[in-house]
Amino acid sequence: MNITIGQYYPTNSLIHNLDSRIKIMGTFLYIAAVFIAKGVVGYAVCAAFLALVIRLSKVPVKMLLGGLKPIILIILFTVMLNIFFTGGKDILWQHGIFKISVQGILLAVKMAVRLIMLVMGSSVLTLSTTPIQLTVGMEYLLKPYKKIGVPAHEIAMMTSIALRFIPTLVEELDKIRKAQMARGADFDTGTLAQKAKSLIPLLVPLFVSAFRRADELAMAMEARCYRGDINRTRMNELEMHKNDYIALAAVLVLVFLVLALRLVWGL
Amino acid sequence: MDFVKSEHLVYDYKTYNEKSEIITNRAVDGLDIAIPKGQFIAVLGHNGSGKSTFAKHINALLLPSEGKIEVNGLDTKDEKNIWNIRQSAGMVFQNPDNQIIATIIDEEVAFGPENLGVPSDEIKARVEDALLSVNMSKYKNSSPMMLSGGQKQRIAIAGVLAMKPDCIVLDEPTAMLDPIGRRQVINTLLQLNKQGITIVLITHYMEEACLADRVAVFDKGRLVMDGAPKEIFRQVEKIKSLHLDVPQVTELCFKLRNRGVDIPDDILTIDEMTDVLLKKGFKNKVEFNGNKKHYQIPEALIEVHGLTHIYGKETVYERVALKDVDITIGRGELIGLIGHTGSGKSTLIQHFNALTKSDEGCVLLAGVDINSDKSRLKEIRQRVGLVFQYPEHQLFETTVFKDVAFGPSNMGLEKDDIEKRVKEALEFVGMGEDMYEKSPFELSGGQKRRVAIAGVLAMRPEVLVLDEPTAGLDPFSRDEILGNIKKMHDELGITVVLVSHSMEDISKIADRILVMNNGSVEIFDTPDRVFENVKRLTEIGLNAPQISLLMDSLRDKGIDVPKDIFDTDTACELLYNNLAGVSV
Repeated sequence: MNITIGQYYPTNSLIHNLDSRIKIMGTFLYIAAVFIAKGVVGYAVCAAFLALVIRLSKVPVKMLLGGLKPIILIILFTVMLNIFFTGGKDILWQHGIFKISVQGILLAVKMAVRLIMLVMGSSVLTLSTTPIQLTVGMEYLLKPYKKIGVPAHEIAMMTSIALRFIPTLVEELDKIRKAQMARGADFDTGTLAQKAKSLIPLLVPLFVSAFRRADELAMAMEARCYRGDINRTRMNELEMHKNDYIALAAVLVLVFLVLALRLVWGL
Repeated sequence: MDFVKSEHLVYDYKTYNEKSEIITNRAVDGLDIAIPKGQFIAVLGHNGSGKSTFAKHINALLLPSEGKIEVNGLDTKDEKNIWNIRQSAGMVFQNPDNQIIATIIDEEVAFGPENLGVPSDEIKARVEDALLSVNMSKYKNSSPMMLSGGQKQRIAIAGVLAMKPDCIVLDEPTAMLDPIGRRQVINTLLQLNKQGITIVLITHYMEEACLADRVAVFDKGRLVMDGAPKEIFRQVEKIKSLHLDVPQVTELCFKLRNRGVDIPDDILTIDEMTDVLLKKGFKNKVEFNGNKKHYQIPEALIEVHGLTHIYGKETVYERVALKDVDITIGRGELIGLIGHTGSGKSTLIQHFNALTKSDEGCVLLAGVDINSDKSRLKEIRQRVGLVFQYPEHQLFETTVFKDVAFGPSNMGLEKDDIEKRVKEALEFVGMGEDMYEKSPFELSGGQKRRVAIAGVLAMRPEVLVLDEPTAGLDPFSRDEILGNIKKMHDELGITVVLVSHSMEDISKIADRILVMNNGSVEIFDTPDRVFENVKRLTEIGLNAPQISLLMDSLRDKGIDVPKDIFDTDTACELLYNNLAGVSV
């Protein structure tokens, strides 16, 4: 399975112990910084920042790289598009509408680096924060909007349960698929219509099972006195510590630095 | 003081049929029961006897249709009591996966107290305590996905403990666990009971019920037997008439008494039985051959050579599931396959029909490598039928008939032929013509499972592999399914591989038993040979039949009994020959 989203890497690190609100805000600010960065220096600063965070999070680089697998195609597509369709002064090769220029190659590399940095940056967030912390953070950040009718707690609870059940349902789907294959089902060959039809023996049991699980889970939650957001406390109430302020300051510095590099020096 | 007290409790399930008429189904029918504080009560009864419905009343998940139930002195019908009741009577359910909300253990355990509005420092202390009580402290920061079934259930118990309950109600908490997991859960419960927590345990396992202070037997929504375990299980005939089991030694005593041997009728454990036999001065005077029979392995049908399988190769999750497995299964044999969770059983059987492939080793079917020709995969899967665990979860068609026809239709058969096979298969598992047009989803658990098995049988396989076909069923449905399997083997000549956690089930019908341990073959031999190593079996976390354990215990006391006795009939013969005429 290569679903990095929602896959938490349990360890004890500086990044793991940060307040999830800071991590969520920090990730958004970092993403902003990556978009602001224009020149090589800007990118280098962002990359250095990312490297530092990864190092501090103690998450194995291998796992982060694994998270890139699903988007390799997107990256390759972007690179191709940029290489062949960006016009520039220094044309190296041309054939009809396809042209390769120095500027094009540079842009392509930039885009690829940007995408990789975005995905890796957000992966650090999900790898270092449990889904519950993540959703609690979301809930806190959404709280001000409760007054205008945003169901912050419900959104958070739904998200965390969804994340909790993704691996369970993936496993279940695999089991059903194998069981139907044992009964001679064929999912790979045939026309598109036949293929679509062959999904019925997979999807019906999966939905039935999902509903059964939902039913049982709801009962288990009720049995443990769950009644929505009423009179609820948390084991880990969110509290800002010294490190959280430092982390926030660090990300802000990054954004301002990248902004200054771009506006003042044009790098 | 009574913690739970019900007075003429009645509960009706109401469903609508296609014509939108209300159909009432009375699950609990005038139940009067009182459970004192601090008691450990086991509730027995076949599926549909109303035990679960009763359990849900204790937690106020269901409210009585008639009559009333008081929990901790509070009437469950009064809405303002509901949260107090749920806090004081916690509940653990059967499926460990469907009651875990969080992705980290400590957050999971904290869920209950968080809902109760407990301050966060106090929650932290409670989580620590609860995890310590179930002996899971070191997993505090782990993901529940990484745990075994028994560990998950202990986490569920911890989740209830963190709410500081007076009582824990458990609805078949061990039904989906292997023997190790079951022992872990039951030991935890015994310990908690000692600390004064009332335990209500619903179970199908008689050996668990024997450990309780009191056993209540439900039938058709009523309390039909109630008393200490010894009082209940001595009534062997009545228990059997309710489609339940008694421990093997109790049955042995019953058989001996029927043949005029003077022996108490309320023996439940091996230790008690050993003591009684020693007191009687039991010695093995008669030459006795036990079960030893000459067994000739028939011509090979499935051969496995040097099979090694590794999950998640070269990743952090790398795990060796099978290590250099070499086995041969003969045509027409009935093989029992046993091993603890993670021993490689399921991985092995998925190799038999090429659903899983390995880089190392090969599987031959009638001498031909099953992976040699990809175009033959369909044929291989028809010849080697595989029934997965909980096969009823794969039913999907609108009618029973259509669902069973799925396999044969995939084989591209003619309509008449399909019809013939479906009818034959359904008849074989005891489903009459009146069931053909029913939706598989409205059947009972045992019926669903039989339909699912018929779905594979309809493909007329040469080999039928079943992964724990009796898991989670009550003794009656279990015996029905085992009977079906035995019949398929005897009458249709199908080679059967039966995966099970229950040595007692397997020992009754298997020609040979394959014991797996940590991905390797531990023993592969006839039952008498396998049970000679009772101690080794216990060591690798398996349950030997109680009779084997009894023989082992007698040998430990210096009495020379054959090593290969594992069923009550043979044991009865041995004891009768030596005890007839002896009185205490």
